[in-house]
Amino acid sequence: MSEKSKGLSKVEEICSQRSGRAKELKDEGKKIMGYFCIYPPLEMLSALDLLPYRILGDMREPITKADACLPTVVCPFDRSALDLGLKGKYDFLDGVVWAHVCEVGEKTAHVWRTYLNPAYFHFIDIPHTIHKPAQNQFVQQLKDFQKTLMSFTGKKLTSEMLAEAINAHNEQRSLVRKLYDLRKPDPPLISGSEVIKTLKAIMSLPVKEGSELLREVISEVGERKDGVPFRPVRLLIWGSIIDDTPLIEMMEELGANVVMDDTCVGSRAFFPDVKLTPDPLEGLAYRYLVDLKCPRTFKESTYGETKKDYLTDLRSRFSYISDYAKEWKVSGVVLQSVRYCDIHGYEVPGLGDYLDSVGLPHTYIEHTYDERSLAPLRTRIQAFLEIIRS
Amino acid sequence: MTKVVIMSDGGDICSQVIGPTGAEHRRLANRVMQEALDRAKLSFPEISYVVATGYGRLNVPFADSEITELTCHAKGVASLFPEVKTAIDIGGQDAKGLKIKSGKLIDFVMNDKCAAGTGRFLEVTAATLGLRLEDLGTISAKSTHRVKISSTCTIFAQQEIVSRLSEGVAVEDVVAGLHDAIAVRVVGMTRRLKIEPVVVLTGGVAKNTGVVKAVREKIEHEVFVPPNPLLSGAIGGAILGRDIVLGALKEGKPIPKKERALEEVTFFN
Repeated sequence: MSEKSKGLSKVEEICSQRSGRAKELKDEGKKIMGYFCIYPPLEMLSALDLLPYRILGDMREPITKADACLPTVVCPFDRSALDLGLKGKYDFLDGVVWAHVCEVGEKTAHVWRTYLNPAYFHFIDIPHTIHKPAQNQFVQQLKDFQKTLMSFTGKKLTSEMLAEAINAHNEQRSLVRKLYDLRKPDPPLISGSEVIKTLKAIMSLPVKEGSELLREVISEVGERKDGVPFRPVRLLIWGSIIDDTPLIEMMEELGANVVMDDTCVGSRAFFPDVKLTPDPLEGLAYRYLVDLKCPRTFKESTYGETKKDYLTDLRSRFSYISDYAKEWKVSGVVLQSVRYCDIHGYEVPGLGDYLDSVGLPHTYIEHTYDERSLAPLRTRIQAFLEIIRS
Repeated sequence: MTKVVIMSDGGDICSQVIGPTGAEHRRLANRVMQEALDRAKLSFPEISYVVATGYGRLNVPFADSEITELTCHAKGVASLFPEVKTAIDIGGQDAKGLKIKSGKLIDFVMNDKCAAGTGRFLEVTAATLGLRLEDLGTISAKSTHRVKISSTCTIFAQQEIVSRLSEGVAVEDVVAGLHDAIAVRVVGMTRRLKIEPVVVLTGGVAKNTGVVKAVREKIEHEVFVPPNPLLSGAIGGAILGRDIVLGALKEGKPIPKKERALEEVTFFN
């Protein structure tokens, strides 16, 4: 990695060869730990000087190997990530942390372990509800995770080490929130594509290096004069993972700035902080189970209430999205999902009703996590922008 | 098909033409346009504004703007049926459900991933049966025991047709089953918009009386079909173009035209 590049040019450089820094550090003796989805607590890895490296897919690379060991009618992002693994693109990982995020994610854990056989593999069984017994169960799961990490590294993981890592990650989260503040002006100071690339880059770096990169990007973007052009529509994108830019670029071409997201290479992964609790694992469990807002977790207005008012329930689940819309001055919401994503698919009718109730225009699109399959969506996005502007 | 509608400032249709499209014909939008101009006894420079719509909208070099077929269809249908709330358009390549409020598009659903529930489904299955597309409606009217075609996948439906025929089922009962399969698919998709009357059916498939009947049965409401169901998108585009021109004139602004000439698209060169 060149010494000179900074800020957004460094982001570009990292995204063009995302594993570059991890491989450098591996050569220096650091262990690289791949993690799937946003649920494994990264603080526990950072605290033991392991580099958390997000396992992603590649929507520009045709899936040619994964179909031999996963059905084709499952999450294409999942298939793509496994495909890259089978092609050796993740061979530099010393270990992999998986989590029970969704059903396909769970099943892929077995396939990954069987076919790629990493030196360390741990599966965290994350509960799917958020009430107190579920939180307690999750703390136990994290204790098991702690044990296997200590035996793999031969190091003790103390509360002090964890607290330090929690602070470092919280600092990074506050920088990401600052980055998102730069999307509030009209036109935004940073584009939707630039945000995705920046977050993808920091998901490939040690936490402190990532924070340094964020500081550089924030200062560069705050100063530049010719950043993002004015576009008549400001969009929020909700849904399953977006880890590349073609979809955002299409929206930009059609006259919309993507100024906010609720996706997991986005605000969803970074916005909530971890509270420091006497036992740090409790604060971690609360943040990762209760505060993370992915539809993989069942949430309801009042736990135990047997008869619910529909709109009250929707409000308790989705009001943060209309808060985002107000704060980022959004004129429409694009609900998007990769095909076969049950968890996002189930959420769409309710979320649509909620957005209707608060008067936010929305549309739903599905894609196959394949750059070439996006063309038919062009007409839908364009028509949606026409509706917003009419 | 390539359709052209020329509209006067008063909103009258001066001429309308439906011409062919295809791998090569798509570059010939200018020829269909020329024919429409000839019929209206106009020359191209006399046209104030051109809106291109539909899948080929990017291949019309002489257009001033491009607007999606969803917006154009809604506008066109609402001009023909001012009370419309739900429109269903079944074309050769896709099917669309439109939700319309006070003449404006407010929501839509679209099937553009496969041939199921589109005109192509009927084209392919008509060929399997050795029938002409335009005869399907009349043939299905003779049906007394409509068969159930369970598959809407075009390829699987073809196989199903062959096996039904080999069981001795009458051709008209198979054709009526095909119409029913399309209606189930398209109406089911449109239900996501919560279908409300007045309901209008457009697109080439709306010329098939068998499909119209099947759609009516599923919706359980009257379904209106315009006299020329292929033209609603082009009519809507013309109205939107006229609105742009009249809006600019009213505000004393220049018409937002592009430098353009009536020429072939150079897309393939």
